[in-house]
Amino acid sequence: MKIKLHPSDQQLTLFAQGQAAPGESLIISAHVDMCPVCQKRMANVEMALAEQVLTEQSPLPDRQMQDMLAQILATPQASTTPAEVHYLELDGKHFALPRSLQRYASKINGWSHMVGKLWQARVDLGIHGRADFIYMEKGGSVPEHTHRGHELTLVLDGEFSDGKGHYDTGDFICCDGQHTHSPRTDADEGCLVFSVLDQPLHFTSGLARLLNPFSHLFFK
Amino acid sequence: MLVGIELNKYQAQGDVTNEMVACLHTVAAKRCQASFARLFHYFAPRLRAYALKQMGNDALAMELVQETLTNVWQKAHLFDASKGAPSTWIFTIARNIRFDMLRKQQHRKEDICADDLWPVLCEQTADLAQPELDEQVTLEQVGQLFEALPDKQKQVIEAIYIQGKSQQEVADALGIPLGTVKSRTRLALQRLKEMLSDED
Repeated sequence: MKIKLHPSDQQLTLFAQGQAAPGESLIISAHVDMCPVCQKRMANVEMALAEQVLTEQSPLPDRQMQDMLAQILATPQASTTPAEVHYLELDGKHFALPRSLQRYASKINGWSHMVGKLWQARVDLGIHGRADFIYMEKGGSVPEHTHRGHELTLVLDGEFSDGKGHYDTGDFICCDGQHTHSPRTDADEGCLVFSVLDQPLHFTSGLARLLNPFSHLFFK
Repeated sequence: MLVGIELNKYQAQGDVTNEMVACLHTVAAKRCQASFARLFHYFAPRLRAYALKQMGNDALAMELVQETLTNVWQKAHLFDASKGAPSTWIFTIARNIRFDMLRKQQHRKEDICADDLWPVLCEQTADLAQPELDEQVTLEQVGQLFEALPDKQKQVIEAIYIQGKSQQEVADALGIPLGTVKSRTRLALQRLKEMLSDED
């Protein structure tokens, strides 16, 4: 089992600089937690950035230096405690989450059962757009849709397909207005994903088109 | 001639890196003020150049510099030389603090903080909830191979990976330096990895 889909170099660099949008940063961070390849990529990007950024100097006046040093030395050594492990619960199932998403397991506003065999739990991140955990039971699917903005999806557990490709645990998927897809899963254990959206989805086929006027309620 | 100059430059850079690694270790182990002063004088002007560009205001820039170096002083034990150079570690601390400062300053309402995004200042513990994907199938094998480790390595691995202790806690409990815990962990993991690939 190997992760095939990763954030691009540009996405990773912006993330490493702290310049990516907060929701995007969070989902990239969760991917990095799951992906040894991207952990190495991150380490390399950060090393290059550090070299670039910490070469130039802007000296401080001596007195200011002395004052600051004295103030720092007067602070006590901090003790840090390891974080507790939280699980995401749905219907008696427990899902382990990547480190970066741990804190949000307890912050969901409950699961709601959507059409088909879909479950959705919104995570209130206070970001522009929205973030959700979405669980598809075996045989579950999301009606065919495209995107007005960007949809970033990270497979947390299980696998799914969307007519374009097959995605496995750890895969990081970017979709925009050029992608029309209808995700579904046939895996016995279903599929749990984390998704970050900056604009509502746009449903493109059959009866699901009727959802469009309400798409601000459904996945937005 | 030019080649000689280049070599000298790289060598000098390597020397500085080694010196900074040694300083961080002495700060972590003994809270050595002289070592910290050396780190401080080297990094403060560099961090200030970065901070001025990022914050665009001298007072905020100074706050960023001070906050970053305070973390270096307080959390030097979290620096892990096997993961990267001191300058990389210190840059990532500054990047994290900048992120949280800007969030506060711009009154943004996101509930996402730098510690979630970049675990630079988190105590590193083995995450039992998250076995590496490639290794899930071989958990049982690992159990057997674990038994084959030397006692000292087994002790450290058991405390960290099975009891979920931090490296610092293990060092305290066994009364050995943090660096020893780190190197034993590294050696043990390396050994497990070798044994696993031998089996394939």
